[in-house]
Amino acid sequence: MDEKVTREIFPRDSRKSYGLVELMKKTAPIVKKEPEDTVYVWPNLLMIEIICAILVTVGLMVLIQFEHAPLRSLADPSTTPNPMRAPWYFLGLQELLVYFDPWYAGVVLPGMIIVGLMLFPYLDVNPKGVGYYTYSERKFAVFNYSFGFAIWWITIIIGTYLRGLDWQWYWPWSNHLEHMNPALVTLVPLHLIFVNWFHVSEGVGKLFGDIIFIGYFALGTIIPMIVWKPMYKAMGLWRYLTFSFFFLSMMGVALKIVLRLLFNIKYVLVTPWINI
Amino acid sequence: MLQKIKNEIVESQIFKSVFRHGYPDNDLDRAYAIFSSVFLHIHPVKVRRSALRMRYTFCLGGITLFLFIILAVTGIWLMFYYTPYTGLAYRNIKDLQFVIFGGNLMRDLHRFAAHGMVLFVWLHMTRVFLTGAYKAPREFNWVVGVVLLVNTLVLSWTGYLLPWDQLAYWAVTVGAKMASYTPLIGQNGPWGPQLGFLPTNDIMFMLLGGTVVGQNALIRFYVLHCVVLPLVVTVFLAVHFWRIRKDGFSGPL
Amino acid sequence: MTNLTAQMQHPGETGDMASPADKGRRKFLVAAGWSLMGASMAGTAFAAYKYLFPPVLYEPPTVFKIGHVSIYGLGVDERWKLKGRFWVVRNMRGIYNMISICRHLGCTPNWFPDQKRFRCPCHGSIYDAHGNVRGGPAPRTLWRGQITRDPLDGELIVNTVIRLDPDPVQTPQGLWVKEKVKEVTPFYIEHSAPAGASCASNRLLC
Repeated sequence: MDEKVTREIFPRDSRKSYGLVELMKKTAPIVKKEPEDTVYVWPNLLMIEIICAILVTVGLMVLIQFEHAPLRSLADPSTTPNPMRAPWYFLGLQELLVYFDPWYAGVVLPGMIIVGLMLFPYLDVNPKGVGYYTYSERKFAVFNYSFGFAIWWITIIIGTYLRGLDWQWYWPWSNHLEHMNPALVTLVPLHLIFVNWFHVSEGVGKLFGDIIFIGYFALGTIIPMIVWKPMYKAMGLWRYLTFSFFFLSMMGVALKIVLRLLFNIKYVLVTPWINI
Repeated sequence: MLQKIKNEIVESQIFKSVFRHGYPDNDLDRAYAIFSSVFLHIHPVKVRRSALRMRYTFCLGGITLFLFIILAVTGIWLMFYYTPYTGLAYRNIKDLQFVIFGGNLMRDLHRFAAHGMVLFVWLHMTRVFLTGAYKAPREFNWVVGVVLLVNTLVLSWTGYLLPWDQLAYWAVTVGAKMASYTPLIGQNGPWGPQLGFLPTNDIMFMLLGGTVVGQNALIRFYVLHCVVLPLVVTVFLAVHFWRIRKDGFSGPL
Repeated sequence: MTNLTAQMQHPGETGDMASPADKGRRKFLVAAGWSLMGASMAGTAFAAYKYLFPPVLYEPPTVFKIGHVSIYGLGVDERWKLKGRFWVVRNMRGIYNMISICRHLGCTPNWFPDQKRFRCPCHGSIYDAHGNVRGGPAPRTLWRGQITRDPLDGELIVNTVIRLDPDPVQTPQGLWVKEKVKEVTPFYIEHSAPAGASCASNRLLC
């Protein structure tokens, strides 16, 4: 029984010379490198996986000693809990619903986030930075991802810690049990501000809003096209336009949040059908 | 003595008929152990040593998968006591919480594994992003990953109607109402009413099976949460892993 | 030999074997087959879509008999909120009701008598006693439900499914619909003010 056959699949033999040869299209990533340094999955990888699984189980077991799955009172259509907070991963969405109309914040924007994420690999033409952590070689891509991620997490933090009764803004030091008076300044669509400032008619005010909205997208697309020509050349027209649309929309979300929080502006673009 | 028992087992006809190889203490059997097992053969027989570096992957994808397995198992346990009926659902959860042995454990595990899965899907995605692992030829697998992310979120959303408590009711009311704002096909969406969509024929009605969150909505969400979405996730997971094998691991050479 | 290979690779396309008429027939059959398959797929999809729309609903009642006008005082009355999900509002000219469903995403707002505002706990929409939007993300004003008088005993009947929803105007104060537009039958019942009532306490009720 002890005479068991133990052999490697490719035994190294000092009398022979070996070469690994493969034909590839494109420039080969593996040039002048040693044959790959591989190990058996059993037991090397499997052990890591089992250890991870055990750690996760232990972590969960420890966690549920301190925190239990919540259960509120029986469903009751006539009373909404105050404040009604979604689970943390939807709080970003709930917070965005404060700044935009539901058709945008609830449907179109999540759709755009999903599609935008899916398109990322097709829009990122930078071939560098595969297989290792790097910031310097792909600054712009990392910036984009981090910016979207930051919006998501900042809105989650706002929803968790800065929103209280009646979904009003509460600072950590204000009394969270007292109903605040609603802000005296109501939210105003941008065109009414123009009407007030420049004494123009409402239609002209709306036109200003439309011009600002369209101008933001138009200039935001055209200026980088001229200033960063190599980037535009590398991407090509359609890829660039798609990217620019998603990029400007993302920046627009941040801008709108700032406009709303600082200047109480409800809408920028006002049309009979949609308001943004 | 132990060695002898082990040998008896490993060399027996039953063991051989199941595993078709000896105990994996030599390279040949280690290879067999992986590629002759339906469960293990999502792995290659050998991996690059660098692919095992924890500081590259942090095992985030693996942890996500493991949490999904925990969710499936605890979910099945919970199903033994749960009735998707508005008059009973809440009481069933109370029973699980206070009466049934281990009920609370299963519920807590299910809930926190769900939180964990959302968190780890995000972390895994961030890791894949930061290492550029989505670039050619792995673009499509990134897309599959995004589909899995969306499915994870929808799974948790459908899951929280089931206890039929206040959080359940209002989260789903708000979520379904959001669907009614879908442009073109929602009663409240831009151009929805103009195209003839009413509370009784739009996408929100289709989702809830009624005009308000009620019995039809509960049973719909139950079926989605327990059957349809887990199935979809499993299928996409299979594609996800298959593509990892086909496209190769992205790690350092 | 080469001919044979070609034939094996493209059976039916090797020139002399099939006449032009045959080819035409094949083309037609392929097209017909695919169309039939497409049509049946579309039919299946439509049937699946139809299947998801139940033609019979078992939902909570929507018609409520709420008693005589005289039992309601001036202002917002919350007694039907728990049972019927609507508020009864009486002003100096008559009585109407508002559905207690936030026009933003369907939560139930709370009435604050001291602020004279309805405020929604989900996303912070604010309405005044008339249902006009005074703040927050709500895109339209609160619904008013149908209110009629029972011809037999004169009690009021509220139907919360038939709803008044006029287009609001954007003003610096919020989204606005003139009272005149909303105080119309069958969403409003004229009635004299309760004895000794004055609208000094709330200007909005006049």
